[in-house]
Amino acid sequence: MNLSYRIYYVFLRNLVSYKRFIIPTLVISIGQPLFYLLTFGIGMGAYVGMFGGKPYLYFLVPGILISSVMLSATFECLYGTFVKMIHEHLYDSLIATPVSAEDAIAGDIAWGVFRGVISGGLMLIVAIFMGIFPVSLINIFLLFLIMIFVGILFSSMAMIVTSFAPNFDFFNYYSELIITPMLFFSGVFFPLDKFPEWIKTLAQFMPLTHAVNISRAVFLGTYSSSLISNFIVIFVLEVIAFYIGIKSMKRRLIK
Amino acid sequence: MAQVKAVKLTKKFDQLAAVDGIDFEIQKGECFGFLGPNGAGKTTTVKMIHCVSPKTSGELSVLGQPANIDNRSIKQVVGVIPQEVTLDIDLTAYENLMIFARFFDIPNPEAKKRVNELLSFVELDNRKNSKIDELSTGMKRRLLVARALLNKPQIIIADEPTTGLDPQARHLIWQRLRQLKRQGVTLILTTQYMEEAEQLCDRIVIMHKGKILKEGSPLNLVEEEIGKEVVEIRISKEEDEKLIEQLTGLNCGHERVGDTLYFYCRDGHEIMKKIVELSLPSYLNRPASLEDVFLKLTGRSLIE
Repeated sequence: MNLSYRIYYVFLRNLVSYKRFIIPTLVISIGQPLFYLLTFGIGMGAYVGMFGGKPYLYFLVPGILISSVMLSATFECLYGTFVKMIHEHLYDSLIATPVSAEDAIAGDIAWGVFRGVISGGLMLIVAIFMGIFPVSLINIFLLFLIMIFVGILFSSMAMIVTSFAPNFDFFNYYSELIITPMLFFSGVFFPLDKFPEWIKTLAQFMPLTHAVNISRAVFLGTYSSSLISNFIVIFVLEVIAFYIGIKSMKRRLIK
Repeated sequence: MAQVKAVKLTKKFDQLAAVDGIDFEIQKGECFGFLGPNGAGKTTTVKMIHCVSPKTSGELSVLGQPANIDNRSIKQVVGVIPQEVTLDIDLTAYENLMIFARFFDIPNPEAKKRVNELLSFVELDNRKNSKIDELSTGMKRRLLVARALLNKPQIIIADEPTTGLDPQARHLIWQRLRQLKRQGVTLILTTQYMEEAEQLCDRIVIMHKGKILKEGSPLNLVEEEIGKEVVEIRISKEEDEKLIEQLTGLNCGHERVGDTLYFYCRDGHEIMKKIVELSLPSYLNRPASLEDVFLKLTGRSLIE
């Protein structure tokens, strides 16, 4: 792993180019989660009523928040990276400088994380406007750390997919077969305990389940010992995904 | 000591040898050209020199260091004008150069100074704030030249720098490259244009199918391989046997391609006299060029 501080330069390049797209991307990255929040939160919430002694939105918001981190980080490292690699030849010019392939890829993973945090942060602002507050100010800060922590995992996973994607259409498999099921079976919208055992077991293999557990615990300030295993799962997966993502992309970039 | 030295340098993609055991040395301050048709291995060779493609076997050193893909110190002092336009289309011309300067750890005030200098060097100072897609092909190329110079390179690699440009833009780029050479920069050029090689290069190698066929100065190669003059005669295959018989003994080599019979001569006087005597309908007498060498060595048939 030939990583250096130049990751920051790659991140910076993305930031400079981002200012041109900031408005459309903000609209897009907030659109879908906001849609879920309104339909499920307010529409369904009216039927569901109270959930563990609090309005349903308190259950839903931390789940949506971390899902939006997942979605934004994923899409940035799928489509964003693919465009930069294939259509803009950006990586070719990067690796001709002292920036290594690893720096370039890690810089893009960092960028995916940033985009994820922006989306999650926007959701948090919207939730606060709706009167749904995290338990304390410190927990708001902690939530941002969690978003970064989770963003690294989903950016890296997307990077692996991008590393062997022949074209744009290929991403549909990943988003429809992996990301979308995760959104519905990870306890974002409703608790998993009414599901049959095998689905509950399956859910434990979905990284989003663990991310949602952490996010919800930090948002509501209800900590339990099972959080430790949630952290370990995400951490181990992200170390592996980061490593494979970089190695595999490097193999694609350097021939 | 040679700035770039390759010994038995080989690059294989799967089983195909794109570069097949070549040797060369490039000295400081010279312009060294790799000539060859498409797929000859020129670009693969220069990619290995600037450390973005790993070799399969052999040795390659640049400025005394082994050229491998993780060698940042070589990349720090090499400037690359790539074949494809790899400018950052999301950024303006100015931003492109400023960000690139970052990649070389050039501090901001110094970067601003160099970027402005280089934009005027390539005559783009009035397009500073243009987006990339507002620039013409020639302007994009010039911006790539400027970008390659940001790090004050000791070696510049120009991979087909003028492909697809109009004559004006081409000549401007040639002038700039010659100017850099006068400043002592080593130039490594790949090209399919013989005129470009003649204009710029002190020494060239002609590559074909991953191998180096010939090496020398453009002038010497023409003299050695072709001679001074070429006579082209348009004549059908049926008639040419008699003609060749009549024209032999005049110290000219000959070759037939399509509808044309080529004679390569040290001196074209004798053969021209004969041709006038025979009153052949269609012929051309011209000085020999690098293009003749190129075509003789790499074959006149199409390479796809």
